Parts: sequence; C-alpha cells; structure tokens
Amino acid sequence: MAKQKSNISFEQKLKRLEEITELLESENTSLEESINLYEESVQLSKECISILEKAELKIKNLKNEMKELSIKDLNNNE
Amino acid sequence: MNQFFNTEQQTDEQVFTVSQLTQSIKFVLEQTFEDISLTGEISNFKPYSSGHWYFNLKDEGAVINCVMWKGLNSYVFFKPQDGMKVVLKGRITVYPPRGNYQFDARSMKPAGEGELQAAFERLKRKLYEEGLFDEIYKKPLPPFPHKIGLVTSIDGAALRDIISVASRRYPICELILAPCKVQGSGSVEDIIESIKLLNKHKDIDLIILARGGGSIEDLWSFNEEIVAREIFKSKIPIITGIGHEIDFTIADFVADLRAPTPSAAMEIATPDIELIKNNILSGISRNYNIILSQLRNYRNALYQITNSYFYKYPLDRVRNYQQQIDSSFYKSSQLIDKKIHIADLYLKKLHYNLKLYDVNNMLNRGFTLILQKNKFVKRMKNLNLAEAIKIKFFDGEIEINNN
Repeated sequence: MAKQKSNISFEQKLKRLEEITELLESENTSLEESINLYEESVQLSKECISILEKAELKIKNLKNEMKELSIKDLNNNE
Repeated sequence: MNQFFNTEQQTDEQVFTVSQLTQSIKFVLEQTFEDISLTGEISNFKPYSSGHWYFNLKDEGAVINCVMWKGLNSYVFFKPQDGMKVVLKGRITVYPPRGNYQFDARSMKPAGEGELQAAFERLKRKLYEEGLFDEIYKKPLPPFPHKIGLVTSIDGAALRDIISVASRRYPICELILAPCKVQGSGSVEDIIESIKLLNKHKDIDLIILARGGGSIEDLWSFNEEIVAREIFKSKIPIITGIGHEIDFTIADFVADLRAPTPSAAMEIATPDIELIKNNILSGISRNYNIILSQLRNYRNALYQITNSYFYKYPLDRVRNYQQQIDSSFYKSSQLIDKKIHIADLYLKKLHYNLKLYDVNNMLNRGFTLILQKNKFVKRMKNLNLAEAIKIKFFDGEIEINNN
C-alpha cells in the first residue's frame, strides 16, 4: 500500500488526508471502512512527515543553462 | 565718384562662405554651451529602433531639438514620457549639412521628485482606468506551491532573504531562478524577459518578483508601463516584494498580491512546514479519537445488547411457555381422569346389570332355552312340533329332529 501511494504528490497526499478526516467524521462511514481509512491516514501522514523532514530546498537557474544550484553555491557568490 | 568705389573700409570686411559661417556658429555655440544643464518639458519623444532617442524640449516660449544616444540613454532609469519635465545635461551641437543645432544630452533626470511622482500617478491612473488593477484579474495563489519562479537579481540581498525564508518555511518546494537586472540600463527588458521565460514553463505555480530596498530611482523599473503589462499578461500568479514596506510601485498594483518586502513575499507564498506537520499530527490524533469513540460506541451498544434481560436469561420465555403448557396439561388431564372415572363407574354398573340378565346364569341354574330356526321359542303356542327343535343347555346344545 505504501509503495502504491508514493507516486502521488505531497499536495495530493495532504488533500487525501483531509478527505479521510471528513469521511471519518461522517456518520455514514461504517466501522470497517473507518478502520481502513484510519490505517491509510496513518500511512499517509507518516509519508508526508517524512517528506517534510527530508526536504531540501532545490534551486535551479533558468538562465544558466538549467544548471542546478544549491544554497551553498549562491552563498559562495557573496 | 571714386568715393563710390572706395573699398577701403570694405577691404577689412570679411565675406563668409556658408560653410565658414556655419563653422563659426558651430565653434561659438559649441564652445559657449559645452557643458550646460537644460530644463524643459519633453514632447514628441521617439525612441528609435537603433536605440537612439529623439525628442523636443520646450517651454512656453521656445522649443529645441534634442538627441540622446544609445549608450548614454541606457543610464536613464526611467522611460521618458511626453509632458515629463526633465533636466538634461549636455551640449549644443551644430550639424552643418542641415544648418541646424540640437541639444546632445548626456544625462537626463526628472526635474524634481514631484515629476517622478506625477509620472507615477499618470501611469497608475491610466492602468487603473484600463482595469489592470481590478480584483477580478487577481489570480488565486496556490496553497502548496511546488515550483516557485523567482525574478530578481542573482546577487541581491533579496534573493538570499527569499531563499532563507523558503528553506525555513517550505523546503519541499523548488525555486526556479530567472535572474535579471533590477535597476539601470536594460533592467526593464530583463525583468520582462524573465517573466516571459518562466511563463514558458508550464509547471511553475507562482512567481515572486522581488527587489531589495532603494531610492525611488532604484525602484523605477518596477514603475514602467511595459513591466506592468507583462505582469498583467502572466498566466502564472505573481507576488511582488519590492523595496521596503513603504514603497509602492506600479508592479505592486498589477501583481496578484503585493508583499511589503522580498522575504514577506516568500512568507506569503509558502505554508509553514512546522504548521503542516502539526496539522498532520493533530489530524491523525483526531482521527485516532474518532476511531476510539466509534469503537467505544459500538462496544456500548454491544454491552447494552448482551446485558438485556432476554439476552441474559434466554430460557426464561421458554420456561414460561413450558409452565403454561404444563399447567394447562395438568388441568386437562385432571378433567380427563375425572371423566374416565365416571365412565368407569357407569360401565361397572352396566356390567353388573348385564350380568344380572346374563342367559348363562339362567342356564347355569338349570334352565334351558328352546330354539327353532335359530329363534327362541318363548311361548308354548309358538312351538311347532313338526320342525327341528334345538335345546340349549348350560353345557351345550342338542338338536332334536322329528323327521
């Protein structure tokens, strides 16, 4: 399940998390569904948090023949 | 008569050729007005594709042709407009082949702070009336921008501030830098090109147009009409962060959102990663509580059911019925017994009575019965001696045949 989910973007994951919370709050969701949804949301939130924690800012200079820069490169220019 | 031909005085008099005169004028004018300042109002401003500017400078009483060459006009921080009062520095030049003179401007400045302000207000009013600042054109900002385009100088403090805010608040985004000059010669064209370049990339969610603080002259590129129009044209939402909080530029009015500074622009553009983390965690704990309370509700419901009277004593009803059945059975069997008893008594009595009338008793005592044609002959007159007679005794029968 985790592998399957990892294709979708961070924003989509966040959106899905919100959806799940709404579904869980709805009276119409059965217990079994709720438990599945809850498991999914735990998985998603782990993924989201790990994305957030591992995130490193990427900077690309368009006019520099698409050369990728890092923060260090820019700071060295000072 | 000779005096008519006296040319003594005239021999001193010089006869100029046109070229000589023009050269003299050129010499005098260019010497005299070699380095002067000239103020007036611009009219008939024409930037040529060669890069040179041709225009007139005028006041109430006079007008003078002016020229400003390509290499020099690039240092003018604003695009001159007709009606703008300026101060030029330069010299008078005379162009002999056409016999005219013009002012060759070396530099151009607005005639005063008010002049720039007036130009600013004129453009602001014009664009406002065209609807370029209308709310309906403001594009919504993406809540989670994935790629953010940056239009700013590559070695400005603004860029460093922006990057530091992005890495603190939302490091999962990607910054796409389209560097440009933000002041002076070519900056207007550079800013426009950068906005165009970013718009060619379809996956950019947001553009930040930024420049650190500076004087009104430093920020002037952001007050140029063509920059404003390019911002308006952009398909990608643009946040401006230009100068300090008090600085407002035309670009700010056209942009989808104006931030007071470059850092503030990035702050507005990005959600706070810590906040997202907290939201996710609190969301999860909320979901967990929902599941828990759901389970608790189900458990309670189950408990109610299992504690119900019926559930606890499932045989009670059965037993009740059994009891009912038993008691009715008892009643009915009692009745039956009674009936049987009565019937029995009655039978016994009948039996006794019957016994009294039993023929065998009579036979046993010695009486006999006479039968003819299997009928008892009860009276003498019925006896037919001509027929066979059967006599029945207690211990047997005999038949007497008279034939």
